[in-house]
Amino acid sequence: MRRKASLVLLAFAVFFATLSPLLRWYAFPRLAKIPPNQYQDMVLEAKPATLLDYGTMRARQVPKVSIVQTLKGNVEESERIERTAGRDVVVWDALSHVVGPDGKMVSQIPERYIFDAHTQEPVHATGEMVDGDPVRRTGIEFKWPFLTEPRDYDYFDAQTRTSAPIHYRGTRTFRGLDVYYFEQTIPWTKVPLPKKMPVQGITPQAVEKAGTSRWYSTKRMFWVDPVTGAPVNGEELHREELRGGSLVPGGGKVTAFSGHVKMRPDYVAATVDLVTSQRRLVLLLTSYLPWGFLGLGAALLTLSLVLEARGRRPDRGRPEPERAEPVSSA
Amino acid sequence: MRALTAVAIGLAAAFALVLAVTAAGVPSGETSPEPLRTTVPAHP
Repeated sequence: MRRKASLVLLAFAVFFATLSPLLRWYAFPRLAKIPPNQYQDMVLEAKPATLLDYGTMRARQVPKVSIVQTLKGNVEESERIERTAGRDVVVWDALSHVVGPDGKMVSQIPERYIFDAHTQEPVHATGEMVDGDPVRRTGIEFKWPFLTEPRDYDYFDAQTRTSAPIHYRGTRTFRGLDVYYFEQTIPWTKVPLPKKMPVQGITPQAVEKAGTSRWYSTKRMFWVDPVTGAPVNGEELHREELRGGSLVPGGGKVTAFSGHVKMRPDYVAATVDLVTSQRRLVLLLTSYLPWGFLGLGAALLTLSLVLEARGRRPDRGRPEPERAEPVSSA
Repeated sequence: MRALTAVAIGLAAAFALVLAVTAAGVPSGETSPEPLRTTVPAHP
């Protein structure tokens, strides 16, 4: 009976001990992925900010500029691309809509970001764009990979349509979470004018024809939860100028937008709550269950060996069989 | 021999479970009907 029980325990011990590495190294990379139907919005604010008054072509300080950013998973497009890509793909249709203090649109930049659902590596397919311009991304955008490493990553900048390193600057504590802090500085760069201008009748073509160009510089900062790879906070020191041509007084330069952009506090709180719950799920597959199963396997194996040893030992209550007397020859 | 059988059963069960769970995967769902926002939401 004991030997039977020890064999059953041995089978369970092997089951849990095998499950431990399988969960971590086989199941987790296949199960952890960005859902293709995700919908998320975010509000960032610059208080105060400097904005260009297109009536006078002079910069003026305003109390607040809001940036409403939406990421919307396009399931139909992701399924279409998956058929040829042969892997799980996410297509995010994104919109950065900038609103002035009067509630009117300042600028609007749509994007289509296509990436591997598991690794966040960009996937190149028709439709990948920024503001209608086809692009070919390298690196990451919006989100870091699951189990983010403390190192520099390539981060795509939508304004310049190029990727540049975003530097790991150490571990910080943000609202009780241990997060990685990343920083990227984009030096002054000539960038395309948005297709949608804030004033009716002014088109990017007309601005370019007047010899005026748009320049941009930013320092972006992200606090990233290393387990989920999701930023829990983001800030940007964003500056834009119009330079040269007949539109700018004196042909010099004028600030089009300048401000320290920060996530709105209620969105920071909601993001931290969301990331905390998702973080538990990832930790369940990468840490809690693998270690728990390994411990359980070891305990069951020990119990199985103990039972087996007891099964082989003679019972103390029972009298030992009599030894045969040695036969001696007379 | 019986111990080897027990080990084989444990191994096979673990592989079968993990393969079944990963093959089932996660459903894709549908594209959200919500539009891309062009107004500032009052709350998240």
